[in-house]
Amino acid sequence: MITWYAVSGAIEQGLVYGMMSLGVFMTFRLLDFPDLTVDGSLPLGAAVGSVCLAQGMPPFLALIPAAFAGFLAGSVTGILNTKFNILHLLASILTMTALYSVNIRIMGGPNLPLLGLPFVFSPLIEMGITPFLASPIVFGGFAMVAGALLFWFMQTETGQALIATGDNPKMIKSMGVNTHSMIILGVGLSNAMVAVSGALIAQNQGAADVNMGVGTIVAGLASIVVGETLFGSRAGGSSVGRCVVAVVLGSVVYRLAIAFALGIKVGEFSFQPSDLNLITSILVVFALILPQLQKRLRK
Amino acid sequence: MMLRLNGVRKYFGRGTINEVLALDGVTLDIEKGEFVCVIGSNGAGKSTLMNSIAGTFFPDEGSVVLQDNAITNWPEHKRAKFIGRVFQDPLSGTSANMTIEENMAIAMLRGKRRGLSRGVKPAHRELFQNRLKKLELGLENRLHDRVGLLSGGQRQALTMLMATLVRPDILLLDEHTAALDPKTAELILSLTRELVEELSLTTLMITHNMHHALAFGSRVIMMHRGRVIFDVRGEKVKSLTVDTLLESFHSVGIAEFSDRMLLV
Repeated sequence: MITWYAVSGAIEQGLVYGMMSLGVFMTFRLLDFPDLTVDGSLPLGAAVGSVCLAQGMPPFLALIPAAFAGFLAGSVTGILNTKFNILHLLASILTMTALYSVNIRIMGGPNLPLLGLPFVFSPLIEMGITPFLASPIVFGGFAMVAGALLFWFMQTETGQALIATGDNPKMIKSMGVNTHSMIILGVGLSNAMVAVSGALIAQNQGAADVNMGVGTIVAGLASIVVGETLFGSRAGGSSVGRCVVAVVLGSVVYRLAIAFALGIKVGEFSFQPSDLNLITSILVVFALILPQLQKRLRK
Repeated sequence: MMLRLNGVRKYFGRGTINEVLALDGVTLDIEKGEFVCVIGSNGAGKSTLMNSIAGTFFPDEGSVVLQDNAITNWPEHKRAKFIGRVFQDPLSGTSANMTIEENMAIAMLRGKRRGLSRGVKPAHRELFQNRLKKLELGLENRLHDRVGLLSGGQRQALTMLMATLVRPDILLLDEHTAALDPKTAELILSLTRELVEELSLTTLMITHNMHHALAFGSRVIMMHRGRVIFDVRGEKVKSLTVDTLLESFHSVGIAEFSDRMLLV
């Protein structure tokens, strides 16, 4: 059975990965740019954030270099795609692969433990709030701020041009927008969010690890489809606000579902944490083919 | 002089066995306020001509000058400052996922810097509504509707408004009524006439319909195999008839084209 401890842990994870899901939402849904860079920029954020932390930088401040590094990684993918005509998927795989080496260089090894260092939720714990509650509160705050910022940005002149770039590049070019700049900016911002999420995850887990990014894109997609199915319609443009909320909630529900699946025991059989990627992939595949199945059934 | 094309030559698939010479050294001056109609058979180079002005690609030879700017090597988005465009596909000119007012707000900023202020400015709503009222399609009450909910004709009408919301130096219409039913096409054409007159626009319109070309054009250009083979302007246009146009087609041996035109 699923314990209260597992539930609280799942909510915490859902919130800390919520910002990552928002980043994936930005590329996948708004820009129509399937971006696998995130599998590398999540550990990149963790690596940069952790190294800064280990150098004595305050935990909140350490997120800024992480965001910057994520933006840089995303814009490399964007530049490879727009300026050098490399297919978006391939461009992002190339960046992701390169980041594996970069991340190990940054950390000086495949992982970096963060023992005895202050974290973003340390102040709350010092105030006497149990760690149980402290980290979900802080991560919830981060998810809200990130969601609000994304919502605000998408309503600006630049954000609107970015949405239109994803929806109808022919039209937005004829309106004087440089779609290349928009793609580089959008993929950059998306990966900045993913990297900050990675830096927070490292603080949550007490370590940064070069392999922590495996399956990020699929987990992000799963959160998006779960959120859209349960909480909101699938659309860009003016319904961005609703989508942002749906994606964060989707991320929480997704982590709860995972925790629940891990708690299932049938006779001798039970799932292991390493089965997660298989389960998630099946979930996303199912969500992707569901609309097609519905169409066929209606005929 | 508004626009000058000087010896513009454009190959597609150059160096392959499929090489096509789409524009064969086109030289063309368009005066301010002219309404130029371009006719010609499929593959004559009409759209290529328009795209070379819009900057969809760069010419292999020759130059393009718009007012005093040599724009030959300017990318499409940079030229958009001067150019309003309406495409043949009525879905091409608007963003389906965005609302009517969001689309119009994007058009308000054509060729301007886009920053971090609010995209849809409340102060512009009245202007948007006034422009939309002109269409008599009731869209002025649907500012918050997604454009994807509109019909093709409604979307093309909206595209016409968006292309002219900021006055363009030249308006490019690429068979913008060809994909519409006849009634909607008439509506879009009369809207075209209204907007062009109201803003005294310089216009380049590609059409397959010779009647439209003669009714709208202050100048009629016929293209064939990447060249301008016929160019009539001013008073002479008024004396042109569909029959004389067809004769000129036959004189250059374009039978298949004239047969098709008779059906329109």
